[in-house]
Amino acid sequence: MIRVGVAGLGRMGKLHFLNALRNKDVNVVAIADARRSNRKDAEKYKVKIYDDYRKLIGTEDLDAIIISLPNFLKKESIAYAAEKNLAIFVDKPLARNFGEAEEIVNIVKMKNVPLMVGVNYRYFESVQKAKKIVEEGSIGDVVIATSELIMNGPFSHPLVPTPVPEWWFDKKKAGGGALFDLGYHLIDLLHWMFGDLEVEFSVLGYRYNLPIEDSATVVLKSSKTSTRCVLNAGWFSKIIFPNFNFRINLHGTVGYGSTDRFAPRNFYLHAAREGTMNLLRRVARKKPNYLSYTYYYASFAKILDQFFESVKNGMQMPITLQEQLSVIKTLDKAYRQSEGTKIG
Amino acid sequence: MADIVLTRANGYSKEDIDACVARALDALNYDINVQSSSVVIKPNLCYYWDYSTGQTTDPRVVSAIVDWIRQRAGNQVSIFVAEADASAMRTKYAFKALGYERLAREKNLKLVNLSEGEIVDKEVAVAEERFVLPVNNLLLDAGLIINVPKLKTHMGVGFTCALKNMFGAIAKPRKFAYHSKLARTIVGINKIVATDIVVVDCIIVSGKTPKKMGVIMASDDAVATDVIAAKTIGYKPSRVAYLKLAMKEGIGDFEDPKIIANPVRPEDIKNAFPRQNYFLQQLSWKLQLKLLRFYSKISKDVIPPILDE
Repeated sequence: MIRVGVAGLGRMGKLHFLNALRNKDVNVVAIADARRSNRKDAEKYKVKIYDDYRKLIGTEDLDAIIISLPNFLKKESIAYAAEKNLAIFVDKPLARNFGEAEEIVNIVKMKNVPLMVGVNYRYFESVQKAKKIVEEGSIGDVVIATSELIMNGPFSHPLVPTPVPEWWFDKKKAGGGALFDLGYHLIDLLHWMFGDLEVEFSVLGYRYNLPIEDSATVVLKSSKTSTRCVLNAGWFSKIIFPNFNFRINLHGTVGYGSTDRFAPRNFYLHAAREGTMNLLRRVARKKPNYLSYTYYYASFAKILDQFFESVKNGMQMPITLQEQLSVIKTLDKAYRQSEGTKIG
Repeated sequence: MADIVLTRANGYSKEDIDACVARALDALNYDINVQSSSVVIKPNLCYYWDYSTGQTTDPRVVSAIVDWIRQRAGNQVSIFVAEADASAMRTKYAFKALGYERLAREKNLKLVNLSEGEIVDKEVAVAEERFVLPVNNLLLDAGLIINVPKLKTHMGVGFTCALKNMFGAIAKPRKFAYHSKLARTIVGINKIVATDIVVVDCIIVSGKTPKKMGVIMASDDAVATDVIAAKTIGYKPSRVAYLKLAMKEGIGDFEDPKIIANPVRPEDIKNAFPRQNYFLQQLSWKLQLKLLRFYSKISKDVIPPILDE
């Protein structure tokens, strides 16, 4: 059994915690959160509870840690976990900028501990099928790829409303706005499909007058395949789950493909079908596809399972640190390119 | 008998909205006398979504109201734009995100967070029950209160307009705590803080979707406004819990108000409003959540925290 701790029980941390609880190879030993309400929520799960992630890591005998803390705590928490030789799963972004990412990678390499960044979008079935199209060349060379991820970002809230944590609005603490939060996923996917990317153009939008951007348009070019990629990311949309405004369109020399073709057309039918399948799997004593009924959240369960499998078998992590360094380097360049091109 | 003015803007530019608001307020013919005191404007800034979503008051409507007051009462009058923190919203960010900080700079207005400063616990009786609501002194001392709500449907109470907008003025940020007694609390705050003028921002309304309506509704009675607003979007006022309670408590004018409609009629709004069946929506939502919990119980699958209570 892998002994796991969860540092940070915000919305993402809680999701990882619940997913980890359902993994048969995992024993979630303890959680830590600075917020009393989050700690109180965790009481029903019968795990040890700490108010500081350092106490959790320092006290418990762990094999792995899930770090779901605010961006400004990533480096120090990773360093602390690496010091204790823990395998680390950390929410994206890995760091707030390229310099910090390099420092983290150096720490992890020096301590020789495995670290995986939770870039869950790679685990969407629709994305994996789109990647296969690129790899198989079934639409020829992809000349243009457009990508979109427009959501409500930190402005979404659960059924019982809670305020957006203020660090989201502080560039120093967060690292950036919509480009950093959502663009990170798109750059990761485009990099995964087309290799290293050069920034050709970048513009940030500030419709909501906040210190961080609420939209971004970036044009990139793959040095490996010459594919021109367009990225549109935004936090400006009052879009509510299960609506999900994400796609990658691939325009090739022979045809075109889109993740939209492989995503559920009717969310409710998809949920009913997947829910029924999971009930049947349970009857047949098979492992359910956790969260598959939500489509979106299933990717979080899959990526965490992959992390635990790699830890259990001592395998290399499927998402490399070098890839994540490239993503943050590209983001840094996009921010630099956008200077002087801010729009309202 | 209350007056209700309904008028339509020629377009959606600032100039069109300025003209429309001024026309509505002129037609209302309200005798403002605030030379020595303050004017408080209470927009609906329930969250960070801007006016284009139909959720929050368009700052251009507030801007037009400010111009109209200054023309009538002079430049010396102090004008405050006031909103309180909400369960998920912090006023300091809403003022910034929704364009009110910029407006305050341009028009020399004071932005006030009603959850900060001098807060007084005011006792009120509704339906023979006495309770206390925390209210900012600014509202209690104001010479004129202008309530600038949105016309929109609402998951909790069916629809929101003038009376519900004042619920947002209660100083306590975590208003979710009042949701189990929402109708009583809405009527309570309106008993404590009486609105003098209502200017309903129906430039973009929100029902099933947002919709550009280009209409301004103005009145000198919040209850009469809500009765007409409810009717124009297809709700029976007697079936809206807080309106029913307000009628019982006699806090406003329920008799058929005098509608000064130029050139838009209530039927025009009713026909164009993107209606949403509140009862079906509530039923469907509750059913979905129940199904989800049942499924999770028997399958042991996870419920995403965003859908958890």
